[in-house]
Amino acid sequence: MTTWCLVQLGMPEIFKAKKSENVVDDVEKILGSCPRSQWGSLVAIPEWSKFESQQEDEKIVILGRKHIIRNLGWITVVSFSLFIPMFWKEFPFIKMLDGNALIGMTMLWYMVLAFYGLQNFLMWFYNVYIVTNERIIDVDFVGLLSKNVNVCQLNKIEDVNYSQRGMLASFFNYGDVIVETASKQNVPNARDESSAFTFESIAYPDKVVAVISQLIEEHDDQNNQE
Amino acid sequence: MEIIPGLVINLSLIVGVMVKISMVLVLILSFVMVRQENLMNNVVNFPIGGSLKVLTWGYFLLSLFVTVIVLLA
Repeated sequence: MTTWCLVQLGMPEIFKAKKSENVVDDVEKILGSCPRSQWGSLVAIPEWSKFESQQEDEKIVILGRKHIIRNLGWITVVSFSLFIPMFWKEFPFIKMLDGNALIGMTMLWYMVLAFYGLQNFLMWFYNVYIVTNERIIDVDFVGLLSKNVNVCQLNKIEDVNYSQRGMLASFFNYGDVIVETASKQNVPNARDESSAFTFESIAYPDKVVAVISQLIEEHDDQNNQE
Repeated sequence: MEIIPGLVINLSLIVGVMVKISMVLVLILSFVMVRQENLMNNVVNFPIGGSLKVLTWGYFLLSLFVTVIVLLA
């Protein structure tokens, strides 16, 4: 009744701002000393970041991507491949080539290596998971020319779980957060994940689950009050 | 081997042609990557997006330069 009267008086904006601040305070308590750098695997409340369909009063609470340790594979390949042209002459096929062809091949090798490294880096950097105060978004870029963006409102989330498997995951504290939603995923998931929302290899998965649960709870409280 | 008079086809020639074609393909891919980075930054905007744009353009220009050298060699 009181809320209705205040809305009629044109005062909803104050209450919106307060609710948003409460959410942010609660999330700050859970995330604690999580890093704020844009290079991190889990970035808490990134003020400097925006996404395509972000609404005016929508605030990014968590911006996550795969843990940096998951890049070890391609970084190792690139590091070792840098030295292969030094041993070109050991290959009989390549020994038969003249100077120009050899130089061309070496330049091609390094260009392809640079492309491979840059491509992998961009895929890691821009494939992000976003949790806002209203919904969760999974942005997947697949290859050079396609993307999948899955969006789910917080009130459609049924269950949130996480798992940590393997030595590296336990040591570096990263794991998968699986979000079960009420709606069926009709668009085929690009990476064959078990659920449309699987935050793969994200740092501090326990905190992510805690934050999502907290946001769902606050969302439910708001709906009940209305 | 001399199928065309005056032109000796050997391993180096074949490898050279394949390298030139591959360099052109890498150049095309690098341009696609520039476009893709632009689209990626539109979907999720980061402050570092500008620097990554410079990086991808730099790679494109480098591959253009290297491709021209290899093609003219």
